[in-house]
Amino acid sequence: MIRYIIRRLLALIPVLIIVALAIFTLMYFVPGDPATIALGDTADQATILAAREAMGLNRPYIVRLAEYLEKLFLHFDFGVSYTYGTVVGDELMNRFPHTLTLAICCTLFTVIFGIPLGVRSAVKAGKFEDEVTRFLTLLFSCMPGFWLALLLVLLFALKLKWFPSSGYKSAKYFVLPVLSNSLGSLAGITRQTRASMLEVIRSDYVVTARSKGLPERKVIYGHALPNALIPIVTNIGTRFGFMLGGTTITETIFSIPGIGSYMITSINSRDYNAVQGSIIYLAFMFSFMMLVVDCVYAFIDPRIKAQYTRKKRKAAE
Amino acid sequence: MADNKICDFLSVRDLEVEYSSGGEVIHAVNGVSFDVESGKTLGLVGETGAGKTTIAKSILRILPDHATKAVRGQIFYKGQDLLAMPLDEMRPFRGSQISMIFQDPMTALNPTKVVADQISEGLVLHQGLDKAAARVEANKMLEMVGISSDRADEYPHQFSGGMKQRVVIAIALACNPLLLIADEPTTALDVTIQAQVLDLIADLKAKLNTAMILITHDLGVVADQCDSVAIVYAGQIVESGSKEQIFDHPTHPYTIGLFGSLPDISKDVDRLSPVEGLPPDPTNLPAGCKFHPRCPKATEACAQGEIPNKELAPGHFCRCINI
Amino acid sequence: MAEVKNTTINTEIDIEALMAEEKRERKANRGKKPGSFLYICRRVWHTPTAMVGVGIIVIMYILSYSSPFICKFPFAKVDIMHKYALPGVAGHLLGCDELGRDILSRCLYGARYTMSIGIFSTAFTQVLAIPLGAIAGFFGGIVDTLIMRFLDVFQAFPQILLAIAIACVLGIGFNKIIIALGISGIAGSARMMRAQILSVREQEYVEAATSIGCSTPRIIAKHIVPNAISPLIITMAMGVAGAGLAASSLSFLGFGVQPPNPEWGNMLANARNYVRDYPHMVVIPGIFIMATVLSYNMIGDAVRDALDPRLKD
Repeated sequence: MIRYIIRRLLALIPVLIIVALAIFTLMYFVPGDPATIALGDTADQATILAAREAMGLNRPYIVRLAEYLEKLFLHFDFGVSYTYGTVVGDELMNRFPHTLTLAICCTLFTVIFGIPLGVRSAVKAGKFEDEVTRFLTLLFSCMPGFWLALLLVLLFALKLKWFPSSGYKSAKYFVLPVLSNSLGSLAGITRQTRASMLEVIRSDYVVTARSKGLPERKVIYGHALPNALIPIVTNIGTRFGFMLGGTTITETIFSIPGIGSYMITSINSRDYNAVQGSIIYLAFMFSFMMLVVDCVYAFIDPRIKAQYTRKKRKAAE
Repeated sequence: MADNKICDFLSVRDLEVEYSSGGEVIHAVNGVSFDVESGKTLGLVGETGAGKTTIAKSILRILPDHATKAVRGQIFYKGQDLLAMPLDEMRPFRGSQISMIFQDPMTALNPTKVVADQISEGLVLHQGLDKAAARVEANKMLEMVGISSDRADEYPHQFSGGMKQRVVIAIALACNPLLLIADEPTTALDVTIQAQVLDLIADLKAKLNTAMILITHDLGVVADQCDSVAIVYAGQIVESGSKEQIFDHPTHPYTIGLFGSLPDISKDVDRLSPVEGLPPDPTNLPAGCKFHPRCPKATEACAQGEIPNKELAPGHFCRCINI
Repeated sequence: MAEVKNTTINTEIDIEALMAEEKRERKANRGKKPGSFLYICRRVWHTPTAMVGVGIIVIMYILSYSSPFICKFPFAKVDIMHKYALPGVAGHLLGCDELGRDILSRCLYGARYTMSIGIFSTAFTQVLAIPLGAIAGFFGGIVDTLIMRFLDVFQAFPQILLAIAIACVLGIGFNKIIIALGISGIAGSARMMRAQILSVREQEYVEAATSIGCSTPRIIAKHIVPNAISPLIITMAMGVAGAGLAASSLSFLGFGVQPPNPEWGNMLANARNYVRDYPHMVVIPGIFIMATVLSYNMIGDAVRDALDPRLKD
């Protein structure tokens, strides 16, 4: 198992190199000239040309790519922001905690409420409680997060004045962002859990568990749920990643200085280094999350674990 | 047998079960009554789809709730009606006093739990053992069914079909139940293993003095294992009696048909005679005798009215008007 | 000798009769076999909520394309006199925005974007994702590793970021948003497909199919995919709806359909600045998004119930 994790971590390196390469190439073809943007529209032609030379923008693509990759992977240097002149790496380190806090809070909120709700809904399938849950989750999964955010701001910040509408100073500031970012996911996880539970809840081994005289709660949470978890975990994993990116909108609306809002401003100002840096940073965190998801599979399903171990044995031979 | 006096141990009276599927009502069990005495074995014999498994699951009340439309009748276990009890009061009987061996060992075990945990769960619950003690017991159970306790920490997918069925048996017998319901315990296994598994069940049953309801469509197994037999057709018991009564004097045309489809080395016949036709559609059962469309001796009267259960000899009942 | 011949002929006749019978039966049962396209359509037809969804979508499409002819106020007409008009004022049923443009007219006209982006981008995603995930999960080993590492590159970006990045490069516009959203969804769907396949692959019926000599593509297409797909149906059904949502998010961030074209997302982005004083500008386009997404979801649910009756009742 440990061998498997190490192998996967090593496999991450080429992925990240390709990601960096792809992003650099994509950005290379994005229309717009960073030198012009850095100096503003008022700068004259000669100054711009000089700046282009100084920034190294006139060198061929291959050279610039190689230099970028070398700096990034050997020195962990993301370069300097064209517009602000700050070091991108430092900026990312300062901003990432906000994004991560937001994503983790949202995921926890989603899991803690979503799974039990979905399980209950599946157990009561067809009953009134299930119908209500299904209706509400359907409604919430249909709301755009940013719209929900605006409505929450309107109600709780502007009208009721319970929570601040923007900023990041204390826990109170995170209530609205977390709610607006995770109610949709909560609905999604609830629906996924319900569907997945309905698949396993009628399995023979659930009947076996019942025939042992186990209380219904143990039958459901001890026997059915572990078997229903695979698609749910996949869903949570992808949603965590989605939140890392989805916070982009939340951060923009609630003025939280995270990676997402940094990226959006950078894209709008064609700040190449900042865009590349923030995307690669998020890509790394996200890929890492996906690795965690794959390991979680092994813990919940011994058959998948057996496959990993078999690989390990093969590798050892 | 189907009289009003109930047996001390297990008596099923007028059991009816209806399923619903896609808007249609399926009459799976239609008024079944039988008794099982402590320590004895009853064989429930019939074709696939005759309602044998439904009868068994009704006793433990583990019918699938989403599909089950109605369960009527009484099931008296030591004088208490299991069907009338609130589920919470009934639940302690499951596993500790009455337990079940399922038909398909491939799907009856939880793929995400090691086998020892699946066995010890019941022990913790019913015998109040702590985890470690239950674990020791579970290992003993595994050894008893012929699996080395070294393999206690393995998952079901690491076992063969026969071994899985042994594990299922170990789970069922872990708490020394007084009544064991074995639902075609050998159908999913190959012939050489079948005999082993049946012997294993018989041994353990003798050791623990457990009563058993053995569901099967194999008359050979019945001859080996059972004290009494009930022949089930389309959710009804068409003939019942002691093993000797049924085997020596089969009376109902369906029973005779079943025996006719068995090879018998003492007789020299060219062909076996199968029971012609197919079991009736459970959503639309024929009126009168459920067997009459396939019956070689059917008369017009067979298609009308309720067919009474006649007592031919003490304890030997048959549901046919032409005898 | 003669007798033998006779038997042969008889058998042939029997087979032909049987085949004819079989054909008749098939004809009679057309649309009754679970899983067939016709069957799904029938089931959806008989599901009231799904029909409400279909109704809403159809009506919205019709209204969207006929809105230039039936609406009293053209969607682009600026009327400074009635800027920020509340719903009902001066004949503007849903009020006006900050330039006095009629919100109802704009919302109806804009319906075409969000609704179509959802369908087309999901189709784009699934056509590529299902085979990729199925192949990776079924073959395992090196094929799996290659496909998954390839997808890792895609999936190293959260979906909306990938869509933004692709939209940046492709430029901005209706078709480009569809491609951007379509590509960004592939990795997620393929991964889910693979996870399902991993658990289905171990089942006995797959071994059974292998043993009777089914070819590998047939096993994947006929045995594994149908059994692995049911949890994916929800994902797909949500996919249409989700892509509609994502499209409006992109527009909200300024990467989608551009003003002055009245797409719901960019209307909301614009209205955001007026949320304190004129909440109707925010509430109304959001309700349109929600109604559309809800309709797609209701249809999706009915399709799912038809495909997998076990998940129902």
